[in-house]
Formats: sequence, structure tokens, C-alpha cells
Amino acid sequence: MKIEMISFGKIAEFINNQKIDVDGIADTDAFKQYLENQFPALKSMKYKLALNKNIIQENTEITNNATIAIMPPFSGG
Amino acid sequence: MSAERYNRQIILKGFGEEAQQQLLRAKVLVIGAGGLGCPALQYLAAAGIGHIGIVDDDTISLSNLHRQILFSTADIGKLKVEVAAKRLQEMNTQIGIIRHPIRLQKNNILDILSRYDYILDGTDNFESRYLINDACALLNKPLIFAAVSGFEGQLAIFNAPDHLTPSTNYRDLFPIAPDKGEVANCAENGVLGVLPGILGTMAAAETIKLIAGIGQPLTNKILSYNLLTQEQYTINISHGGGYTLPKTVDEFLNMDYQDTSEGPQGYIEIDASELVKLQQQESTILIDVRERHEVPVLDKQIFTQVPMSEFGAFMSKEFYQKHVVLICQHGIRSVAAAEAMQEKYGDAKKIYSLKGGIVKWRDHFLRP
Repeated sequence: MKIEMISFGKIAEFINNQKIDVDGIADTDAFKQYLENQFPALKSMKYKLALNKNIIQENTEITNNATIAIMPPFSGG
Repeated sequence: MSAERYNRQIILKGFGEEAQQQLLRAKVLVIGAGGLGCPALQYLAAAGIGHIGIVDDDTISLSNLHRQILFSTADIGKLKVEVAAKRLQEMNTQIGIIRHPIRLQKNNILDILSRYDYILDGTDNFESRYLINDACALLNKPLIFAAVSGFEGQLAIFNAPDHLTPSTNYRDLFPIAPDKGEVANCAENGVLGVLPGILGTMAAAETIKLIAGIGQPLTNKILSYNLLTQEQYTINISHGGGYTLPKTVDEFLNMDYQDTSEGPQGYIEIDASELVKLQQQESTILIDVRERHEVPVLDKQIFTQVPMSEFGAFMSKEFYQKHVVLICQHGIRSVAAAEAMQEKYGDAKKIYSLKGGIVKWRDHFLRP
């Protein structure tokens, strides 16, 4: 399963944009678990995932060559 | 309306006289006359938005000037809304500018927002952003949202339905606010002045598109902008769950927005960067409440010494400064002093306590 990861803001400081090739990630819940294992700093942060440019509100199946964006909230002005 | 003033946009194919009239009839509230608000205000006023409200309770400081481009060096210490309103009115004499030199809170926000058709959020903290989001949702007001972090920005339009999706709001992205300190704001983080300039200008563009009904505004979408790469990434927002949006005024008034300025304590706990900001502000007194023998000794030119043992006597006299910053070794006695001051002065003065005290911010105090 090939997944492209795009991250923003503070999250981009420790997760580079990258393409990963991993087995066993069938849906967004599994991806989230994978992410938090790889990058434990995420566990204490608020963030939202978007699969192929659509915000994830419930567990969603991931297909090959998906793009997943990882977005934290911004408040600065 | 002077058609000549707006000639270049009226003759634009796809805009025209009708769109210009819609701008003139619109009432837009810009919350925060800062890095985002200044450029947004300039373009909204220049474009001929008929009624523009500005909310900000802050005064101008030197470190604002690199990004808050409505203000000049001579304006330091003045109220942002006053200077902004004057500049904008000089630029466009045909529109109405309304000043709101207040801090939006649960008890005043509904009244103010209800006077406007469109709300532009250019604030710099999560408390305000959630407060504004929920108030807009309750009042059914379209919300144009812009925010920055580092070299990146976010732009979205909430609470406006499109032909595909019912309206979404900020809580569909981030149901609850991050804990204090989880995400730094501009004061802690630094920002290149041009970034809020770009995002504020884009927010003005979205507001104009929404009012005039042109193009595809970012309704139910969030755009991420990266200044370093000039890349943009747009994500579709759908309705999510797992959050509570107040459905009535009573429910709204019972929400907790962690608003320190209306919390039970009344005074505000600050960090060293906010202390620096306050030091640059006019009418600020810094009070060291430690006893006279305590070390490190602070510069008495800057820090007025009022030991706790003499605090009662000090409080019985009047002093003119509006902002009072209380400092001690660990930020515990200064809280007690802040409580006493708050009780005496209420809203007449703004009271601050340095959280963690001199020990926590040692580098700040011992800087040569």
C-alpha cells in the first residue's frame, strides 16, 4: 500500500512530506495508529486527517496511492 | 456612491454595478485589527464595503509595526481601532466605519455580531476563535476565518451553506480547543510580517467574493498556504461529530471559553513575552512584590518595589497607570497581590501576574 503524506504547521517540523509503502494499513484508523507509533509527539497534539483532500470524520478505507494530509489548528494573527 | 472611485472593479467583466451595490449594502465586522485585520480592513474599505466594524481592545506597540501596516511609529500607545478607523475613513470617505474598542466576551459578542452580515476573524488566540465560531453558528452569520503559524496560513469560510453541503463550522475541523501552551501564538512564535498580510488580503478577497456572489469562495473548504514554497492545498470540510455547539443563548452563555479576562479570577497570568509587550505599552507599572532583601535585585528604574508587607499601604494611595504587572520570585505572591488589586480596581485597571515568577524567566530578568 503506497500512501503519500503531507503535513502542515508544527507537525511538518517532525513529519516530512513523504511517500510510504506499508502493509496492513487498510483504513484511516489504522493509519492514525501507525502515525502515532512512528511519531509519538502527535499523541499530545490536536490534528485532523484528510484523505484525498476530504476531511476524515469517521473511519474510512484507504486505497493504494492515497494522499493523506495531517493538519493542526492555527490560531496566530 | 461615486462610480468613478470604483470604476476599475465596476468595469471588470463578471463584477459590475450590481456587485458594487452589494458591497455598498454589506455590513462586515473585522475582529482583531492586527496582522490579519489591517490588510483585510484596507482592501474591504477601499473596495467600498458600506459598513465596516472593527473590534480590538489593544493599543499599538513597537513590535506590532512590522505586520500591522495601518499603524505608524507615532501611533505607539494609541488604541488600534481609533487609528485604524481614522486611516480607513481618510482613504474612503464614502463608507461608514464603526469602532468597537472592546474585548469580545460571551456577554457582549452576540449583541455586536448581530449588527453585521459577515464576520472576519483575524484574532490571535484559540479562546477568541472558538467564541467567535460558536457565536456565528448561533446567529447564523457567515464567518471568514484566517490564521497563521510559522510560515503557513489557513483560510476558510464557515457557517455558509453551498449547493452541496450544509454549513460547517470550525468545530467540524477541531472539535475542542488545544490546551493552553499546546500551540504557541505569534507573540511566542514569531511571524514574518508579509504572511498575515497575504492571509488577511486573501480573507478580504473571500469576503468580497461571498458578498458579490462571484467565483468559488472557500465555503466548506480550508486552504493551507505555505509562504516558503508558495504552495496551496485545499481540503473539503464535511460535518463531523463529537462536539457541542450551543443552540440557544442560554447554552452559549454557559459555555467555557477559558477566557481569563472574564473568569472568576479577573486578573491575567502572563509569560515573559507578554511582559515584554506590556513593558512597551504606555501606562504600565511593573511592581516587584518581593521583600527588600530578596535576590536577584531588579532594576529599580523599571520595577517599582512594593513588598507584600507594605502592599496594603500602597493600595491605599492612588496611582495613574492602567496596566499593573505584579512580579515575585515564583508567581505565587504576585497572584495574591493581583487578587487584592482586582478586588479594589475591578475593570478600572488591567491586572497581570507573571506566571512562574522571576525564577522561571531568569534569563529575561538577568539579560544585560
